[in-house]
Amino acid sequence: MSTDTAHPDTTGRTPASPPAGNRPPRSLGDGAFAALLMLPALAMLAAIVVYPLVASLVTAFFEQSLVEPGRTFVGLHNITDLLGGDFWRLLRQTLVFTVGATIAPFLVGLALALALNTRIRGRATLRGLLLIPWLVPSVVVSFLWMWIFNANYGLANGALEALGLIDAPQAWLAGPGTAMTAVIVAKTWASFPWIMVMLLAGLQTVPLELHEAAETDGAGAVQRFFAVTLPHLRGIIGIVLLLELIWNFQHFDLIYVMTGGGPAGATETFATAVYETAFQGFDLGRAGALGLLWMVLLLGMVAIYVRRSEREGQL
Amino acid sequence: MSSNLSRRDMFRLVGLGAGAVGFGGLAACAPSADGPDKDTAKSATNFSFASWSLADNASKAKIEELMSGYGSKAGITVNGVPLAYNNYLNQLTLQVRGGQFSGAAQMDIAWLAGLAALGKLRDLGDVAKDAGYTEAALTSGQVDGKQVGLPWTTAAIGLIANRDLMQKAGITTAPATIADFEAALRALKGTGAIPYAASTKVAQLKDILIWMQTFGSPLLDGDKVTVGDDPSVEAVTWYKKLYDEKLIAPDVERVDARTLFAQGKTAMYDDAIVGRDFVVKGSPDKSIADKLDPIARPVKNAGDKPRAVQWGHAVVVVEGEGANTATDFAKWLTSDEQTVLGYFKDLSLPPTTTAALASEQVKTDQFTSQFSERITATATPNPFWKYPQYAQMETAISEQVQAVLVGKTKPADAMREAGRAVQALIK
Repeated sequence: MSTDTAHPDTTGRTPASPPAGNRPPRSLGDGAFAALLMLPALAMLAAIVVYPLVASLVTAFFEQSLVEPGRTFVGLHNITDLLGGDFWRLLRQTLVFTVGATIAPFLVGLALALALNTRIRGRATLRGLLLIPWLVPSVVVSFLWMWIFNANYGLANGALEALGLIDAPQAWLAGPGTAMTAVIVAKTWASFPWIMVMLLAGLQTVPLELHEAAETDGAGAVQRFFAVTLPHLRGIIGIVLLLELIWNFQHFDLIYVMTGGGPAGATETFATAVYETAFQGFDLGRAGALGLLWMVLLLGMVAIYVRRSEREGQL
Repeated sequence: MSSNLSRRDMFRLVGLGAGAVGFGGLAACAPSADGPDKDTAKSATNFSFASWSLADNASKAKIEELMSGYGSKAGITVNGVPLAYNNYLNQLTLQVRGGQFSGAAQMDIAWLAGLAALGKLRDLGDVAKDAGYTEAALTSGQVDGKQVGLPWTTAAIGLIANRDLMQKAGITTAPATIADFEAALRALKGTGAIPYAASTKVAQLKDILIWMQTFGSPLLDGDKVTVGDDPSVEAVTWYKKLYDEKLIAPDVERVDARTLFAQGKTAMYDDAIVGRDFVVKGSPDKSIADKLDPIARPVKNAGDKPRAVQWGHAVVVVEGEGANTATDFAKWLTSDEQTVLGYFKDLSLPPTTTAALASEQVKTDQFTSQFSERITATATPNPFWKYPQYAQMETAISEQVQAVLVGKTKPADAMREAGRAVQALIK
């Protein structure tokens, strides 16, 4: 290292800058150094997340087609048009799917977690087998259930007819009254294993002594469940339900493959509507407006999740 | 190994890494050491070929054989881009629009205007001149007089019946009028089969348009959309009646209809000539090919001309890397006599050149000649095809028809709404 700067200037002149190659290294604070290290990741995030997100949200304020060049600024027209039209129907249907596809697998997952937390024979094998639906890719799940619910050659009609529960084949996916239920059933099958695993992990942290003490005090199985088990699971149940709500609120693939949002829009949610509007209707402006409104709602849910997670000390 | 790197050392390493990446990137952009740009020199280069036939098991092997056949002759690789038919147009549109696709692409003739609107399709007029295509075939590949596609196959979409099931129901002649047709469907219902596997899912409900024309709606008068007029409402009301009486079935699109037909579970369905191959290959009945009977669409009043919608595939060339070789490939694929006759032999798709159509192989194929005579002979293009927004128009009408079928709206209201939506798309 050069030692030139250690000598005081005795000439009375302003000391000349040392040659560039001899400059001392400037110290970099920890904060700046950390920021520098994060820069590549931040640049990547900006390029592949922030820019596309902002660009697509900006289209909400334009009339813009996917196949024609150019766009026209229309202000809030796309948003007000949606709020005066399809938005509330989409919100209602999205909420029906979200709540249905959260509660149903939760109940199935909880029941199975409780069963697998007992000393039943073949417990380990059952745990493995019950995870299979979760491992199947979503598109495969969709095709599987499309086949089960097909009106003309579906397994569901065949089984129900054989059992004498229906007289004629039902158009499960083609009926506005049954299509959403069919989609929720399929989603329940795909989602319950994850919930089951999470709850099972929670159940295994419940101290056995508490159960024994409650039993000694004369509490039955149901009382012990509500007085001992449930309070212990409250935290994990909250997180599981909230995450499922967020995921289902933005769920796309299973609905799109099974029904395409039909029949006659009966299973259309924000996710499928944005895709249909942009890539079938080629209307990027309207799709952007839908995306903007959808994101605002989703951010509210995410905010609740973050606050809750912080409170639970999980972040 | 010591891990005591100073910050300066780390920056040096990062700098070295970045330099290496940058150098690598620049090296990749440098001209090939093999010689000048091959495309400019008009020698063969690798290119991509997008095709929905590549995504379909029935035709995949043949298309791959054609690609590798051309590739080995030219000493290049043709990279297949398989995309499913129902999502083909929007996927290809996105890729072309984003500059991610160049090369050759299979196209439904109904979609040409939409893709041409992106302004990236090569004008193939000069290429098409001496290739021997029929005049009708050439027209099917044009948009506003510009030859944007080379015709690969042309025919029509019509009704295909199972002769055995029809005879079982006591139907010995093809129903000529709508009234005859309804009577035939009622007779077929008694056999336990789905009488007519008409499209009832949005993806293929465009089939309703030809019924609207059969009932007398022109669909378009100049630039004025006539969907919503009395004949179109009458057609949808009739379709709904068939649905309610279970003469047509819910939950059906082309693929379902082919499957049901191949399994002998329906007596009739709408398809292009390409359907024969799917049905024959997918049927457990080894003699199904002999039972296929293409029939003219019934007319509203005796003496009317049967309606059929034109159908066909073209090959377009998207400008960019490999476009010159892709153009040569498109011409070879669609006009080389040996190639198109081989395609016809394996997939039953009629060629588009005068010479190939005159060949014994095509002329003596009974199904093809019956299909041409009864269906293709009166086929016309859909009047909405000329608009780049055709796909949106089709969806707008299909969604309203489906709403009628499931009882969410009345035919008159639905068709008025569909007409309004389609009109709004015409600028």
